[in-house]
Amino acid sequence: MKGHISTEKLAALNEKYLPFAEFAQELEDLTDYPPKFHFSAKDNICATGFQARAGSRILEGYRPPFDATVVRKMREANGILIGKTNMDEFGFGTFCTNSAFGIPRNPHDVERSCGGSSGGAAAITALLDKHVALAESTGGSISCPASFCGVIGLTPTYGRVSRYGLIDYANSLDKIGLIARTSDDLKRFLPIISGPDKKDPTSIVQPQLQLGGFKVKSVAVPEEAMQNLDPAVRTAFEAALEKLREMGIESHRVSMPSLGFALAAYYVLATSEASTNLARYKGMLFGVRGGHIDQSFNDYFSEVRSANFGKEAKRRVLLGTYTRMVGFRDRYYLKALAVRQLVIKEYNGLMEHNDAILTPTMPFIAPRFSEIARMKPLEVYQADFLTVPPNLTGMPHLSLPCGYHDRMPIGMQLVAPHWEERRLLDVAGRWCSGFDIRFPEVSG
Amino acid sequence: MDLEEVKSVARNARLELTEEELREFAKDLEDVLSYFSVLDKAPDIGKHDFNPVPVANVLRDDEVCRDVDAGLLRDSMDTYQDMVRGPKLT
Repeated sequence: MKGHISTEKLAALNEKYLPFAEFAQELEDLTDYPPKFHFSAKDNICATGFQARAGSRILEGYRPPFDATVVRKMREANGILIGKTNMDEFGFGTFCTNSAFGIPRNPHDVERSCGGSSGGAAAITALLDKHVALAESTGGSISCPASFCGVIGLTPTYGRVSRYGLIDYANSLDKIGLIARTSDDLKRFLPIISGPDKKDPTSIVQPQLQLGGFKVKSVAVPEEAMQNLDPAVRTAFEAALEKLREMGIESHRVSMPSLGFALAAYYVLATSEASTNLARYKGMLFGVRGGHIDQSFNDYFSEVRSANFGKEAKRRVLLGTYTRMVGFRDRYYLKALAVRQLVIKEYNGLMEHNDAILTPTMPFIAPRFSEIARMKPLEVYQADFLTVPPNLTGMPHLSLPCGYHDRMPIGMQLVAPHWEERRLLDVAGRWCSGFDIRFPEVSG
Repeated sequence: MDLEEVKSVARNARLELTEEELREFAKDLEDVLSYFSVLDKAPDIGKHDFNPVPVANVLRDDEVCRDVDAGLLRDSMDTYQDMVRGPKLT
């Protein structure tokens, strides 16, 4: 039967290591009657039939016996899960260079990063026609790779999409979203993955998703977001503002002082929560096991963790453990929680007079791996200064391709109030009808 | 940050670090923590929540059901005579 593909058949297809174009053609044949479509899931989203390793050696061999709610919903909607996508270990990274299972390359230039942490999701979406990817963002892991790979990334409001079956990074920040090639696909798939799920209490309180009934007329551009930009990004962004004006969307320069505190607050909260979440990996419940069961409890756990966590995972566990220690909790952790409320208040204040907030997505185009190798950890964290603020506040946001420099894509990021995804869909639809997204040429 | 301090944090986090890792992480942590001190200058608006959006407790009646097959979970663990095997509690 056309359009039907079993797990075994898919595995056989994957094992053939076909040239990419042939693989794409086979998929095309398998899904060529309308309700069928193909999708992928970031490797921290559980699905039967696949390992779920979240980019970490410590989860090698873990095969979840259940589907995450998002995977179940996509499969029930006639979606065919064709694979899991590579990512920075547990989501810890901006360039997708922190996976235990290789580094995905940017499809526009293989010497450059495809962004992180949902790097594989953005790369496959740029490469494969009609594909949609389930991705996840904690501090920018959808916007960043979408921007670097020149595709569309939608991060819904915190709680809009059930996280049942997601391997946690930071519970007060994690959000499952979409990376897509067209605005129509966002409109098609967001309603499928959204909605209350009794298996995820944070999804229960959401108001109903609305897809229309709002036309965005104005956006605010914070001055603080326009500093430290690569000139190519600034030029493309200014040109996009002009184009938006022609479409009937005015932009206003505003000041948003709390942006100066968002990055630090985010890294305090994210690492604190990550260090507690990663306590569950100890060689007993999931993935790899330790070799010496006759050791004491602590020695056994420490051995497995030290041998299997990558460098960035260790760094973040150390940071998070430190910021939660007695004496530092008030200074860092509780202050970071207060700063989150401050940023929410400033966003809401600005959005009383403007329909959304607009900034570039990343301060530069996708960097070369040689440039990334020279960056210090703090410099890597600071590259997230535009994607972190909406993530910290749980507000829905969208990265759209808005220009090109040296063939490399540049993205802009739109932020809407909590639960107002429809404003993002409105701009996505109008923008995409007048902007040609360039997809990389695929050979052989 | 001195190496002893990093060592004690690592012990808390159940990580054994080599001398080289200790030195490298000490430097990285110092950079990042000194950057965190920007938070000292942030105005305090006097409230903090643990979630970015309000969440509500939703209670339901207890019901007996099977979520995931216990056998499947057990298969992914080290077992001995139907029990999960782990290291010594000392």
